[in-house]
Amino acid sequence: MATILIENLTKVYPPTPTYPQQVQALGGVSMSVTGNVFVAVLGPSGSGKTTLLNIVAGVEEPTAGAVRVVQDGVPAQVGYVFQEPRLLPWRSVLDNMLYVQNRKSDRSKREAEFYLSMVGLSDVAHLYPAQLSAGMQQRVGIARAFLVNPDVLLMDEPFSHMDALTGRSLRDYLQRIWAHTRKTALFVTHDVGEAVELADRILMLRPGGVVFDDIPVNLPRPRRPDDAAVHAVETEVLRRFDSMEAAVRFGDQRN
Amino acid sequence: MAYDTSVTPDAVADLSAREIRRSVMGRWGLRAGVVIGWMAFIGVWYVFSGAVLGTQQLPPPHTVAAEVWQVVTGDGFGTTLWASLFRVIVGCTMALSASIVLGMVIAYSAWWRGLLGILTRFFVSIPTVALAILALILFGASGLGPMLTAALVATPYVMSSVAQGLTRVDRRLIVMSESFGRTRSQIITGVLLPSSVLAVIGGARQAFALAWRITLLTEVFASSDGVGFQIKRSFESYDVRGLLAWTALFIGLMFIFENFVFRQLERRAFGGAHVSLATAESTR
Repeated sequence: MATILIENLTKVYPPTPTYPQQVQALGGVSMSVTGNVFVAVLGPSGSGKTTLLNIVAGVEEPTAGAVRVVQDGVPAQVGYVFQEPRLLPWRSVLDNMLYVQNRKSDRSKREAEFYLSMVGLSDVAHLYPAQLSAGMQQRVGIARAFLVNPDVLLMDEPFSHMDALTGRSLRDYLQRIWAHTRKTALFVTHDVGEAVELADRILMLRPGGVVFDDIPVNLPRPRRPDDAAVHAVETEVLRRFDSMEAAVRFGDQRN
Repeated sequence: MAYDTSVTPDAVADLSAREIRRSVMGRWGLRAGVVIGWMAFIGVWYVFSGAVLGTQQLPPPHTVAAEVWQVVTGDGFGTTLWASLFRVIVGCTMALSASIVLGMVIAYSAWWRGLLGILTRFFVSIPTVALAILALILFGASGLGPMLTAALVATPYVMSSVAQGLTRVDRRLIVMSESFGRTRSQIITGVLLPSSVLAVIGGARQAFALAWRITLLTEVFASSDGVGFQIKRSFESYDVRGLLAWTALFIGLMFIFENFVFRQLERRAFGGAHVSLATAESTR
């Protein structure tokens, strides 16, 4: 069983020539995620969502605090879906998939083809990224993340650059592929509807990188954005979001 | 909930009919422009040849074309061409090899960037003719001289291009590779080297063009064979027709290498569709 354990995580970016002030991206985040759950990290811009994900993925170092990402006591394999697909332009879709595989065999090729079929891209495996639409490229990004058979799946606003219809279609693909694999997932978003549609639990970050709220979403799957139950939870999350904004404003006045 | 496993409408390549039409028209427009440009050039040449300078001073295009044919089908063309081409290829290879190594050093080390930056500025400021004569005095005309001159003159320019290409590697691809646990060597072979291919091909193209010019220049100064020597001989015997014919051959060879070697290499490196479609992608 995969576990993400985050203790008092702080990240402060030092001043740079272009931004001569230090920036606190995370201000002591503590949380834990255990088991086959889909957790959405929701927050406005500047709340440190991407920084949190990068630290969990191990591509950024924290200033203080600790992160443990383990599967049965050993370091977990992580799959990452980025905001933009990040495909290698000189490799075909299939070769992009195989790039993240440790072993190159017929089996790994079959696995890659399977995950491509899960996102409806079997027919374009031989094409190059520039020959695909933005939505198709992101689907390759999703399939690639599942291909490494990750214990933990990290997703950083993967649909934020998509138009509404493409985003909806991609969410459907993600729900389907996640239902099949049920990996521990940490999904960063600033879209309340997206969070409610996908997650079992929503962690709300406030500006400055502090966990403000932890909201369970106990709804049956698959979910649709037009479901009444989804809409009700969305309203509740928005209400809490407003109270967070009020708290931030109140805090600002006090300071 | 039913999921559709087929390619959904959003999956259809979204170059609209209008974009495709515009792209096709643009391509034909470009071709028409090239044809019109050539026709205008040849027309102006005829006018200057017939009415301004006279056919002795500037032979008309068809006379030069006939001379080109005579040169190509005559004795010694292959030997002359190979003499120059061999020097160009060796000079270009030396320049490119040095440029890849130095370009990598510049791209990844600030200290070397500073040092080589000074040396580059120094070399670039030396007149090519002076460098060519100096290299000929030092290394001799028939042997290494022209090749080393070509390599020396081309290296600073090609090195800068290669270094610029290398520093433009998309760091996000490196982060992606790290997040998937790729090792350092996998990142070098999977991301850094392929990213640099375009820069290296660009460098090779630049090295070749510079090596051609410089080799010919050195052959004009001091050589007993090669295309440069033939151009000099035509000039000395006031054979404008021969001079223009060899110049046309020189241009033709450059064109052949550009279109049938470097462009093909570029296409091959990026799986054919990448280069042309990347432009379409960026306009979406």
